Amino acid sequence: MLERISRPAEVRRWPGSIPVGHRYTPGRAGEVFFTALRDGGVLLGARCSHCDLVYAPARAFCERCFSELTPDTEVGPGGELLSFTIAFAHVNGDPLDVPVTYGLVRLDGADTVFLHVVLDAGDEPLEIGERVQAVLKPEADRTASILDVEGFRPERSDD
Amino acid sequence: MGRRVAVVGAGMTRFVRRAQETGKELAWEAARAALGSCELTLDDIDAVCLTSAPDAFDGVHKKGEYLSEGAGAWGKPCIRTYVGGGSGVFAGIQAWYTVASGMADIALVVAEEKMSSTQPHPQGAFLTIFDSVLERPLGPNLLWIFALEMNRYMSVHGLDKRDIAAVAVKNKRNASGHPSALLGQAEITVEDVLASETLAWPVQRLDVSPISDGAVALVVASEDVAERITDRPVWIQGVGWNLDTAYWTNRDLVFPEYVANAARMAYDMAGVTEPRKQIDVAEPYDPFDYKELHHLEGLLLFDRGKAPEAARDGVLEREGDLPSCPSGGLLGVGNPIAAAGLMKLAELFWQLRGEAGARQVPGSPERGVAQAWGDLMQVGTVVVMGVDEHRRASGAAVSNPPAEPAGRGLSEPEFRSAVGAVEHAVDARYEWDAGVAVGRFLDGLREGRILGRSCQGCERVLVPPRMFCERCFRPTDAWVEVEATGTVQTYSVCHVAWDMRPLDAPELPAVIAIDGSDGGFLHVLGEVDAADVTVGMAVEAVWKHVGERQGSILDIAYFRPRRGV
Repeated sequence: MLERISRPAEVRRWPGSIPVGHRYTPGRAGEVFFTALRDGGVLLGARCSHCDLVYAPARAFCERCFSELTPDTEVGPGGELLSFTIAFAHVNGDPLDVPVTYGLVRLDGADTVFLHVVLDAGDEPLEIGERVQAVLKPEADRTASILDVEGFRPERSDD
Repeated sequence: MGRRVAVVGAGMTRFVRRAQETGKELAWEAARAALGSCELTLDDIDAVCLTSAPDAFDGVHKKGEYLSEGAGAWGKPCIRTYVGGGSGVFAGIQAWYTVASGMADIALVVAEEKMSSTQPHPQGAFLTIFDSVLERPLGPNLLWIFALEMNRYMSVHGLDKRDIAAVAVKNKRNASGHPSALLGQAEITVEDVLASETLAWPVQRLDVSPISDGAVALVVASEDVAERITDRPVWIQGVGWNLDTAYWTNRDLVFPEYVANAARMAYDMAGVTEPRKQIDVAEPYDPFDYKELHHLEGLLLFDRGKAPEAARDGVLEREGDLPSCPSGGLLGVGNPIAAAGLMKLAELFWQLRGEAGARQVPGSPERGVAQAWGDLMQVGTVVVMGVDEHRRASGAAVSNPPAEPAGRGLSEPEFRSAVGAVEHAVDARYEWDAGVAVGRFLDGLREGRILGRSCQGCERVLVPPRMFCERCFRPTDAWVEVEATGTVQTYSVCHVAWDMRPLDAPELPAVIAIDGSDGGFLHVLGEVDAADVTVGMAVEAVWKHVGERQGSILDIAYFRPRRGV
């Protein structure tokens, strides 16, 4: 019953979009985390004493036992690089002028993993398991954003 | 029908315009309140039933996964179900079959919605509910379908808008006793509703429930487990759900047949043979005031067209013969879509246990029905709940939800200046093609002809045409040219755009039943004053000039009153 389309270029297409944007506020724990990052230059986690776990960034509750958590546990700024990838293409497929390295970092004192950029990897290949340090923007430039952290720099590049 | 299943706990957040909490935090607050109400912990939960309406509201693709940890789903079987506005009540149905089947003994049910994230207006997320090829070129907004359905309902039954407005008054007054309510108003009157801004006639501002954020949760357990958890389990006695065709312009909008089908399914299971006598309290879905009445009729609690006079005569009041939306409903408590539906089950739980505090209906109700509705005005979800005769409430001291539910509303300035807030747009663009049947239909329009497809199975002529009949589920048989004339099934006079900005000139959307067919479609009226349009008016298509036609629904410029009729 299907009809053959012999001239596909003539098939009429109806362009459209879903005209929505979003404004996300960071919530109860997120507000405390971003305020501490901007004003104090510290990374805050939240400890669940029942599960003996530290979530970083801080959360309002423990996903395992549902305890209410207080975002008061400082973590990092050092940590361990658990994995990384090097992006050569933009999300739209265009090549990037400069490749970007993204890493998963377990901050010292935290049990969860944090996604950010790896800075100044240099000529030596990155190694999973190597030590990294969070690099923050100067206080005057911080805006309570995840980009107040510029990224993580391998500790060896400070040598 | 599987094991008996009971609701044993319930909790909810405050419903607010802009929540300080994230969606996850809202879900967690409701879930822990529900667990706390029956003194269980997450360790006791075998499975999680999660629901939330369109992803676009929270702005999170795969919202079910995003919300899962707030719903207590870490390391547990969890699935998000979604049937549009019907989702909240459907989550109760999902919990019923999860437990009745023996898959879980105790299930946590969580419904969350955070509509305030959506900018500039959550209606933007609803625009794709309309057919991309046949309807979106007309520039519809969501209010159109409500206004069109409401007008048809009012016109066919000759209803007085005052009687419909009485529902908004009742619910906003009922909500004034609800600690979670966003819009409780003890002093509101019918005159206030009738004086509110007209959005899309006959829909006025106070006929509509507000955009809201919030979450609700239930704990549901199998019979043997429920008896250990509480001495007052509230049984899920019947469940039903049903879906009508998405060709909404082919339906008579005056009666929600899909709600009636879902209700019959639930009543059969519950052993309810005379709903009006055997149901003591109802929580029908009320995103608009007329919808509560429409749904009470769909629930077979009133004859067709008779629910409005019940509203007028006080039958639906908390002290009336059939209390309806004693919670305050979506119109009063608020409408965080999926959460608002589940709130209706929570309210029955509290009412049937005598724990509804200031909202308690008198007379120790024994059985209630909750219902929600959604998708393209086509889904009905129904749950019947009841308590055992010897366990009927007798003046419980508990009041639920507690006087200080979780959830804090941000003011507009607080929302705009919130620390750490970020904005993103969904940069998703689409190209829809018309497909076989509608492609030919559009070719016909370019030639100035309206084409349908005949089905020999049900002897219908389908407009818009389709290559298969959704009722007979067989190929349709032949192309048929029908008239370019028809009658106005229903119409609206719309004064606002989808983002609620006022229009310079009102639009006149209408559903046109096409002569010589069993269907019709959405279009707009022209060459007529709004005041002169009537339901049942004969109209004819006004075509664009041949050279301007593009094979589009807009090749018909509009329909105008038929000349010489």
